[in-house]
This record gives sequence, C-alpha cells and structure tokens, in this order.
Amino acid sequence: MARAFSSEVASGSRKENASKQEAGASFRFNRNGKGSSPAKNLLRFLCASAALLLCAAALTFIVDPLQLFRPARLFAAMYSSDTRMQNAGLIRSQPFDTVFMGTSLAIHFRQSDIDQALRVRSLKLAMTGTNSHEQSFVLAAALQRHPKRVIWAMDDWIFCDGAEIDDDIYLPADLYRRNVRGIAGYLLSGAMARESAWILARSVPPLERIVARLTTDAVFNFTISDVDDINAFRPDVEAPYDATRATAAFAHITHPSRRAGLSEGYDYQRMVRNFENDTFRLIADHPDVVFDIYFPPYSILQWVAMRDASPGALKIVYDLTAHIGRRLAELPNVRLHDFRDVNEVTHDLGNYADVIHHSPSVDLKVLSWLASGTYLVDGAAPGAALERLKAQVEAYQVEAYQVEADRIAR
Amino acid sequence: MVRLLTAVEKGLMLFNSYPFIFLFLPVVLLGYFVLCRRGDLAPVVWLALASLTFYAFSGWRFVPLLAASIAFNYTVGYLLIEKKMRSEWRLAALTIGVGGDLLLLGIFKYAGFFAANLDALFSTAIAVNIVLPVGISFYTFTQIAFLVDAYRGHVARYALPHYALFVTYFPHLIAGPILHHKDMIPQFERADSKRADPHLILCGLIVFGIGLFKKTGLADGIQPLVSLAFGQAAPSFDQAWIGALAYTFQLYFDFSGYSDMAIGMSLMFGIFLPLNFNSPYKSASIIEFWRRWHMTLSAFLRDYLYIPLGGNRHGRVLRYVNLMITMLLGGLWHGAAWTFVAWGALHGAYLCINHAWSHFAPKPGLRLAPLARLAGFILTFAAVVVAWVFFRADSIAQALSILATMADPGHIVLGHSEITKAALIAIYAVAAWCLPNTQQIMRYDHTNRTVGEHFRDVQMRPWFLCASAAVLAFGILGIQQHSEFIYFRF
Repeated sequence: MARAFSSEVASGSRKENASKQEAGASFRFNRNGKGSSPAKNLLRFLCASAALLLCAAALTFIVDPLQLFRPARLFAAMYSSDTRMQNAGLIRSQPFDTVFMGTSLAIHFRQSDIDQALRVRSLKLAMTGTNSHEQSFVLAAALQRHPKRVIWAMDDWIFCDGAEIDDDIYLPADLYRRNVRGIAGYLLSGAMARESAWILARSVPPLERIVARLTTDAVFNFTISDVDDINAFRPDVEAPYDATRATAAFAHITHPSRRAGLSEGYDYQRMVRNFENDTFRLIADHPDVVFDIYFPPYSILQWVAMRDASPGALKIVYDLTAHIGRRLAELPNVRLHDFRDVNEVTHDLGNYADVIHHSPSVDLKVLSWLASGTYLVDGAAPGAALERLKAQVEAYQVEAYQVEADRIAR
Repeated sequence: MVRLLTAVEKGLMLFNSYPFIFLFLPVVLLGYFVLCRRGDLAPVVWLALASLTFYAFSGWRFVPLLAASIAFNYTVGYLLIEKKMRSEWRLAALTIGVGGDLLLLGIFKYAGFFAANLDALFSTAIAVNIVLPVGISFYTFTQIAFLVDAYRGHVARYALPHYALFVTYFPHLIAGPILHHKDMIPQFERADSKRADPHLILCGLIVFGIGLFKKTGLADGIQPLVSLAFGQAAPSFDQAWIGALAYTFQLYFDFSGYSDMAIGMSLMFGIFLPLNFNSPYKSASIIEFWRRWHMTLSAFLRDYLYIPLGGNRHGRVLRYVNLMITMLLGGLWHGAAWTFVAWGALHGAYLCINHAWSHFAPKPGLRLAPLARLAGFILTFAAVVVAWVFFRADSIAQALSILATMADPGHIVLGHSEITKAALIAIYAVAAWCLPNTQQIMRYDHTNRTVGEHFRDVQMRPWFLCASAAVLAFGILGIQQHSEFIYFRF
C-alpha cells in the first residue's frame, strides 16, 4: 500500500505539525465533551434552510405566476414579456383554438386583432430571435391542446443552425415538458418566489393600486396585466416606423465592416435539413390541423441589401423558399401565403423600423390578407410569387444620396 | 482564416447547480467519511477519483491531459527529490519540468493568440482552433510551484495519490484558489481531517451558502447591467459608468463567491483552503489591493516570478522593471488577448507609481491620515475600475471607446431606467465597502486551522442560524439555468 509520509523538510513542516496537534485536541474535545452542540446546530441549520426553501416553493405553487398549474383565479393574472418562458404557462392556462407563431416580426400582433380578423380564439406564441428548433418545440407543446389552426410567420433565417433544445440556455424546455427538473426549477426559483410575493401583494385590495404603480420591469418580470398586451405596442407610445430608420438600417447592415453578418449562418443544406426535421415533419404529423404559413413582407431594402452585399445568401434564400413552397404543396393541410412581393407595402419604407420589422398597421393588413386569401400561393404555380419578388429586387434602385447621408449621420 | 476557440465544454458541472449541490457533493462527502473508516489511503483515492469525475463533466477528453500532466510533474518531482543528482542535472530536470508545463499552457492557451498575431502581421492565414481545457492555468501553476520547491530542496517525497489529489482536488480545480503543496498535502495526510466534524460541516455550509448567494444573488443579479457599457449600442456617459461599475462588482462577487464556495465545501471535508479575497475594494492603495485581490495568484507571482526576477534587491529601477514584467505576465495568464496584457500593464504601472509615491512623497501627519486614506481609497477604486474596462472589453479599441465615453460627461441620458440601475449599483457598493467579508463573519483562520470558534460547542444564536440558513436558501433559490463563473474561462 502506498503511504505518504509527513513530507515537509522546510520550516513549514514544524508549524504544520504543531497545528495538527492543536486541531486534533480541538476535535477530541468536541467528540468527548459537548460534542452534541455542533451536531444540533448543523441539524437546525439544515432544517431552517429546508423550511425556507419549502416556504418559497409553496408560495410559488400557490400563486403560480406562470399559471403552469392552474389559470389565475385567486390572484391577479400577470404576464411577462419573456415569451420563451411565458409561453410554457400560456399554453397551459389560456383557452385557444388557433396558435400564432413567428419571430420578432410577429411579436407585436394583438390576439384581439387576430381573433377579430380571422374569427378564431388565438394564442400568440411568437418569440424574438427564435430558430426553427425552438418554434417547432413550442408549437408541438401547444398542439397537445388540440387547436384547429396554426398561423406561422415563417422567416427564412429561422432555419439557420441553432442550439438543440436541451442545449438551449434561453428556452426552459423542461418547463414545457413539465418534468421533475422543470417543476423543481420553477418552484425553487427565487425570482418566481419574488414575483409570487409581488403578485400576492397586488391581489390585496388596499395594496393593489400602490403595488401596481411600483411595478417596474427594471425589477420585476411579470408586469403585464392583460394577456393581449404581451409585447404589443401601447397606444401612448410613439411608433418607431419611418423611412429614415429603414434607410439608416440599410446603410448600417451594408457597411463593409458588417456586411458579413448578412450571410452568417446561411447554409443551404443545413437549412433544408432543419426545415424538413422541424417544420415539415411537425406539419405532416398533424394532418387534422390547418397550417396557414406565410412569408412576411420585409421591406425591399432587405432584399436589396442581400443583392448588393451578399448575393450568395440571397440565392440560398431564393432556393430555400422555393424548396419550402414545393414541399408544403405536398401537404393538404397547408395554405401558403407569400407577402414578400406586395410592393404597395414593401416599397413604402415608412412602414418599417428597419429593413424587416413592419408596423402594426401592416400587422392588420397581414391579417386581412390571411382572411381573404389574397396572396395564397397557387399550387399549380408555386414559384410565381418568388419570380415576381426576384424581378422587383433586380429592378430596385436605392437612392444613393439618402443612404450616404444616413451613413454619415450614423 | 484564423479562428481561436476557447470555449469550455457545455457539460461543465457548476458549483451553482442542483446536480452538484444535491447529488455530487453529498455523495462525495458521504463516501469520503465512510471510506475514512477503512484506512488513510482509501478516502484520498476516493476524493481524487471524485475530482477526476467532476473534471470529466467539463470534457472527458481533457482528463487524459490532466492525468498526463500529473504523471509528468510527479516524475520530474521524484527525480528532483529522490535522486542524488549533480546540480547541473537537477537544473536540467527543473528546466524540462517547467518547460513542459509552459509548453502545455502555451499550446492550449496561447497558440491561437500567437497565430492570430502572426497572421495580422504577415498574413499567414494559419488557422489554429484549440479548445481551452478548463482549469489548465490553475493546475499548471500549482505544479510549477511544486517543481521549483522540489528543486530548492524544500520538499520531501509525496505519495502519488496525495499528489494527484493535491492537483485535482475538485473545490479548487477549475478556478482556484491556487493551492500550495506545503499547505495542502499535509492536510490530506492528517488523520483528524478524515473524521466527520459537525462543526466544520456546519461552518463549511455557511461559507458555501455565502459564496453561493454572492454568485446567484449578487453577481448574476447585476450581470444584465454590464451590457450597458459593453453591449452593442454605444453608451452615454452615465450608462458607461453604470456598466463599468456593474462589471467591477459582478467580477468581485462572482469570483469571491466561487472562492467562498470552494473554501466552504473543502471545510466540510476538514480541509482548510487559503483565502483568495479580503475585501479588495476597501483598499486605499494599489499595493494593498493586490494583497487583498486574488491573493493566491498574487502570492504565486511574488514567490515564483517577482522574487526570482530579482524583486527589489537590485535597486529601484530594476524593481519597477520586475514589477512590470510580473504584472504583464500576470495579465497574460488571464487570457490570450491584448486586452489582458493592457490590463496587466496598467496594474504594473499603478504599482510602480504607488511604490514611487510611497518612497518620495511626504508621509501625511496624524491629523491628515484619515483624509489621505480616503483619497487613496477613491483613487485606488477609480484606477481599478478603469483597468477592469480593459479586462472585460472585447478589444483594445472597445476599451478605449468606453473609457473615452466615461471621460466625456457631454452626453448623459439619466432616465428612469438609469436612475434605478444606479441605485442598484449603490447597494452593491455598500455591500462591498461596508459589510464584513466571509472570513470576518466566520472568523476563518487558515494559518491556525480554525473557523467559527465563537459558536463552537454552544447553541448557535437563533438569529444567526436563521440568517445563515436564509443566505444558503436564497443562494439556492437564485440558481439560474446556466450561469458560469467568470474565472472558468481563465
């Protein structure tokens, strides 16, 4: 058997030995003398910690800020703008027959507008910056509640490679799965306990008004009292949409130092694979659900930016969306709408905050087009809209002086 | 195109995670004390294996590298300690040992940096893509110290299991404290540390809880504010200061929280780790700051770099040169980037100025001493914040841009959001400047191996028990899905 011997030959060894003896004496005193006190203290400490953890978990369970266990009845329902987390609760707590999915381009839609335009009971699950893995995962969770219809704003870049769901640090996948890890993480979250305490205080009538006034998103997550307001613009907020912003954004993304960003993550084979695995398979697995899929109306500047600064990525987008069109045409439960060539919107730069994000007035137009089926892709000629878009992109001339002015201004 | 990838593996087991706190640590603790009844060696082997398992979560492919590093250094150490060699052969063995360690560090940590700079200068287009093994800087430094001491004749032979445990000991393996063999191996040998002591377990839990709260409650809480200065958008004067101060406090609570957790969990095993922090932001000079910040690294650089370089033994000028070299290399130790070199250079310059001031400036009178200390405190803190901007920035250009904004009060936003965030910063400042630190609360004495003597053998005061239990509970409640310690990447 290997045996270490007391190893120091330097002066430190004597000190170490001395401290050994002192420490040893102290240990013996503990065990032979009043040895029970430290053990009792330890037990009390562990019990107190456990009791506090249980109290916090109980508070979260009772108030249930995410409405993961039950819809809010005893306490005021509050919502968070962190949609990746909030959607796990919305899917469980809200009544709906239609799901609305997308990225930041779809995040400002109001559920009440969707309901009115399409005569449905909708649930908006759009999430900023999501990829196809995340969207499919959340949609799959929502489809377990058997909606009749899915409306899906499909951006091409969602098919760029992203982290797999279990490696995705932004999406709390276990909350959607409602497994032990997800539930334990929810109940043992100090942030949730804090939000619960705040919601509890807000539900006490004498405190309601003052707590509501003190509720700030600098400290709290659940600050929205109406589900319809989640990420929707407030009427009193000035809309940030005008042509100057759009051209400034164009100048920004086409600047030589940044133009590489336009093609970042664009790989045709990978994007097709992600479409097949995440989107096509999900739709094919739910033949009883109608999928209204639409390509959003980006401003023409987005396409022109790619044309001028990243033609390779533009070709990938053309080819990918052509593939998507062909594949979706094979599925009887899909209606594909292509709004990319609606030039009365896409060429009016006053509709945009940058080169892609459109205004709430365009949201309403999108809903009306979905209702009327004006831009429904014809199964007999699935590439017609794409060809029109290509012609528009080819022909568009950016007003150089304006872009230069914006570039200098920035 | 040159790409330097220094990411850690995604499976890293964090101290601030449920699997570590509720599964790994209790199982290892239980196994350790059960095996302690079966002799002296079994618990040491158990702890070493547990440490390797812990390390394997950060990337199993680096376990052979760690094992090879241990075997290499142990062999060289054995030659230096056991074999009666002529002095030139001893020097050759030391050179091979230290050179091998530095070569390993150079390949895994600096090859990409070197290649990128060559590419920038000569357009070589050489691609270097190396993943940085977690903890390599820490375990390499501990072993260099061992070899140097073995060469100096300050070490007798250690058994391999004890040596392996000294290097791999999981509380320190990933991000320190940088341990010294003289301090640790005798503790692993000691029979008393192999008996479960409820007092030490309790004290360890409290220290661990304080560290966990510092990380999950304080450091993670202020992290979003950092992007005000270091994010994509150009900051205003107030936003730049809020972001820089937020990073200043985030780094302190993150790293000192990690160190507290390491000390706390080690206490549960009856092992006393050295202190790494002693309220550094209370310092009134840069010299004092470096006696309080990352103390084990400072001690290492002093004993194994600054003093061998000549220290202060060859006149004032050479002392300053040695200080600059030490701090430049200390900066580079943190990461292969010019921002770290700039950070080290800045601190080297600070130290030179501080030493020169101490030598040439008149000493303040008794009445002026408090005022001088206050001025020193403000100046030191401001200098440290400025240096942290280089430490955190992605590039020298970004650091200079942020510093320029911090020096230009012409553009101030100071909206509701900025005021709220400034108030939050003030709370952190009060915590860092006014509250006692962990070792003061717990009366942790590393030298004499004592802790919490004030409540040993007496019933703990209920308020203290409840408060410390609450700190642990809040620390656990603050655990987020995935929040790495900043120093993991060094």
